[in-house]
Formats: sequence, C-alpha cells, structure tokens
Amino acid sequence: MLLKIAPYLLISPALVFILVFKIYPIISVVAGSFIRRGELSVRTYEILFGDRVFWNAFLTTLKMNAVMIPLQIVISLILALLINNTIKGVGVFRSIYYLPVTMAISVASVTWGLMMNVNNGVFNSLLSLIGVPRQGFFTDPNQALWCIVLMATWKGCGYWMMYLLAGLKGVDTAIYESAKIDGAGYFTVLFKITLPLIRHAMLFVLVANTSANMLLFAPSKLITEGGPQNSTNVLMYEVYKSAFRNGNMSRAGAITAILLLLIVLMVYLQFKLMNRGEEDA
Amino acid sequence: MSTLISKRQKRALSHTALYFVLGLIAMIALFPMVYVILASFRTDYEIFKYALPFSKNTIIPVEWTMGNYREIFDKFQFATPLKNTFIVVGILVPINLLISSLAGYAFAFFNFKGKKLLFSIFIVSFMVPIDSIALPLYSFIASLGLVDSYWALILPSVSSGLAMFLFTQFFRSLPESLLEAARIDGASLIQVFIKIVLPLSVPVIITAGLMIFVTEWNNYLWPLLVTRSPDVRTIQVALAYFKDEHETFWSFIYAASSISAVVPVLLFLPLQKYFVQGVTSSGLKG
Repeated sequence: MLLKIAPYLLISPALVFILVFKIYPIISVVAGSFIRRGELSVRTYEILFGDRVFWNAFLTTLKMNAVMIPLQIVISLILALLINNTIKGVGVFRSIYYLPVTMAISVASVTWGLMMNVNNGVFNSLLSLIGVPRQGFFTDPNQALWCIVLMATWKGCGYWMMYLLAGLKGVDTAIYESAKIDGAGYFTVLFKITLPLIRHAMLFVLVANTSANMLLFAPSKLITEGGPQNSTNVLMYEVYKSAFRNGNMSRAGAITAILLLLIVLMVYLQFKLMNRGEEDA
Repeated sequence: MSTLISKRQKRALSHTALYFVLGLIAMIALFPMVYVILASFRTDYEIFKYALPFSKNTIIPVEWTMGNYREIFDKFQFATPLKNTFIVVGILVPINLLISSLAGYAFAFFNFKGKKLLFSIFIVSFMVPIDSIALPLYSFIASLGLVDSYWALILPSVSSGLAMFLFTQFFRSLPESLLEAARIDGASLIQVFIKIVLPLSVPVIITAGLMIFVTEWNNYLWPLLVTRSPDVRTIQVALAYFKDEHETFWSFIYAASSISAVVPVLLFLPLQKYFVQGVTSSGLKG
C-alpha cells in the first residue's frame, strides 16, 4: 500500500509548486484575455488584431527569431564539434565558451549597449582601426535588431553547446572509425551519421532555444526601449509595456496567449520535422 | 619515410589551425567581460578620453582606481542587494534540489498511474520562462500579500522542471539492482534515497544547483516587479536602478556589472568538471 502511494508522495511537493506558480498562471493568463468587464468576450483580440503596433511587433519577433534561432543552433553545433576534439587543453576552451552564459542578460545588455555606443563605444574604436566609419548600432533602425541578435548569440551559444556536446559524447567513436575506413568525408559523416545520432539532444536544444528566444526582451527594454522607430519592439516587450506602463492587463494577457500559442506551434512543427527524420533514418 | 614526416607535419598543422580557431572564439567570448572588468577600474573621464582613436588605452586603464567600487558600496549601499540575493539563493537552491530530486526519484524508479501526464506537466513548465507568466503570477503574489518580501522571490522558483528533468535522467542511468531494496520494502525507500542514490548523484546535484543559482542570480524582470523597497532588492534590480538614476556614471555600472558577472564565474570554474559530467549524464545521448 505504502509503495503504491509512495511515488505520488515523492512528487507532490514539486507538483504543488509547479501547479500553483507555473501552470495556474499560464491558464489564468489565457483565460483572462477572454474576459472583459466580467463577461466572456473576444473584444480584446478584435482590438489587438486591428492594432498596427501589435502587427509590427509580431513581424519584428518573427524576423528576429527567423535569423536568431538557426544562427544560434548552427554556431552551438560548430562549437560543440570543435570542443569534442580530444586535444590538450580543450577543457579550458569549453569553460571559456560557457562564461558568457553566466552573465546576466541585464548586465550583458547594459555592457553591449555601452560597447556599441555611437560616440565612445569600444566597437566604433575597433572599427576605426580598419577604416570603417562610425556606426549607429543600437541607434540605427536598420542595425538595432541585428545588434540584439548578435548580443544574444554571444551570450546564448555556450549554453546550447553544452547539451549538444553531451549528445556528441554519447556517440560511440567506433562508428567514426569505420566510416573513415569506408572513405566517407567529414561532411558525409556529419550529416549522415553524427547528426541523426544526436537528434534527441538537437530536439531538446531546438525546443528550449525557441521558447527562450521568442520571449527575449531584456535588450529591447534596457538598450533600445523598443526603438529606434519601433525596430526592436518585440511582442514580449509589448506585453511588458501594456501591463506595467499602461496598466492594460487584458491586452498584455492576449499578447502573452498569442506568444505561447506561437511557441507551441513552432515546437509542434519541430517535433514533426525531427520525427520524420527518425523514420527516414 | 618522407610520407611519415609529412603526415606528422600535417597533423601538427591541423592542430595549430584548430588552436587558432579555438583561441579566436575564446577571445570573442571573453572580450566583453574583460572589457567591463578593466573599465570598472577607471574613471568616466578616462573611459571617454581614450575611446577614439583606438589605442591600447581604449581598453587598458592608464591609472587604476578602486574608486568606483568604494562609491557603489559607500554611496549606493550595494552590499544590501548582494546580501539579499545571497539569502534568496541560499534558501532556494537547497529546497529546490531536495524537492526536484525526490520527484526525479519517483519518475525514474516507479511505475504509476498518470506518470506520463505528470512528467509532461513538468516538461511544459520548464519550457515556459518566468517572464511570460510574470503578469498573472504578480496578481497572485499580490493577492497573498507577499509583494516586497523574500517570499515573493523564493516561492515561484522553489520548483524547477529543468532540475527535475536532470535528476530523472541521471537516476535512470543508475543500475537497477541498487534500487531493488527500495521497491521491495517501502520503509527503506527514503533510506535508499539518502544512503545510496544521493551519494552517487554529486555531479547532477552540482549541475542542477549551478543552473538554479545562475538563473536566480541573473533573474531580472520578476525581482524588478515584486521588490519595491531597497531592503529586499536583488543585485540585478539594483543594477537597473543604477542605470535609471545615475545614467552618466558609466564606471559605477561597470563596477556593479563586474561583481554581478564575476560571482557565477567564481562558482562555475572550480565546479565545471562536475558540470560537464552532470549535463552529459542527462541522457541526451543518441
């Protein structure tokens, strides 16, 4: 009898906290967006869908992530492959690559904001060395979003590298040896053998990376305040502004719900895509 | 003979190239941190003066000064947010590790009704960062009357799906026979956990602990929302106030940022061997 209920007893503390502080808020945010003046209504969404600021933020979020997610995955994979080499001192490099992860996103934002300052940032100093004129970076509407992508990539890749490295460490090296004997080139081995073998790690990284990046807004808040010309105004920053500057909780709730739906949709597609790969393999 | 030499030379060459690439990436990874730390030892005047044209003093201080650090502790009481953060993390990390490891124990070693559903609830919970639910969570915490207290910072992070996931995956890799006893006799369940399972779990305890610590240490939006008075402000919030109120004092921001950045590094470096083991055992292989 005790053994029957034991697992439930073991799980219950963790479960209670997850339900109360994670699941309940998710449900209440979605439910709240459908309630207006105490009645069930989709009015909040109607207003939202007619709002150009919302659509602009929607497109900005998609544009940023369409570049940032693949970029981070590819770089993290390259880092993991480099670090997976068994040469002397590779552990030191692994630690160094992880260090940006331990820096707070707020600190990283402030730091990069200062480094990319138009007037006296060190990046412009470095560029002047090779004769490139002063760049606007975060003050240029064509550059600001990509500067955020650059910063987030610098900060994030070490984290995802660790998980991909864990996957690579699990691959039996005998497979590489026999592939080499068969005369397979580096990229053939990579795409035909290595990548399919680490697809669990890949899927995890893909899913976790997507949800983290879709919700990234600290740089927009701390460096650019959504500007210049709304070019870095992502959905999550809209949520923050609606809720805590304008006190419009229902609008904030509706955008959160849309963001969560968007993430679920992307994750679903990623699962589909990766599983199709599994059937082929 | 000649082919042997050329083969060896070729290997040496490819090693050199590899080190070159590794070193280049390391410089990119380190540069912002090194720059911030060096800038924290100079005055605003000096930072501006040597910004352009580029010289070695754009990065390296001409006159080293501890003034910025003195100022942030004397004038801006930076010790208080530091202390607050350590208190919050000190309470949170052990509790989180305990309840996450218990849940992981159940998921790894028992079969029970609703296991799949419960496990997926945990997985979903760690895919959703606290920022996205900050809003309803704030209303909830406010309704409990906990705004502006340590509890507001601790409670939402007491349970983490990621830590639970790491523990589950690690426990699954332990040999079955070790745990037979736990299954046969209910009373020894906790004993097995404490005497057998936990001592074997040092790498994953350290990994999960580090991840919880770093997440908490760097948490920004949530503490910003729920802490109003300086008495409970955490380090990242204090940093944000620096920027708003004292926009022109770059060097103070640099000094506070350096402290914020260095603490997790000091923790991570001596423990990184375990960290790699912990992540590797997360069962993400093949």
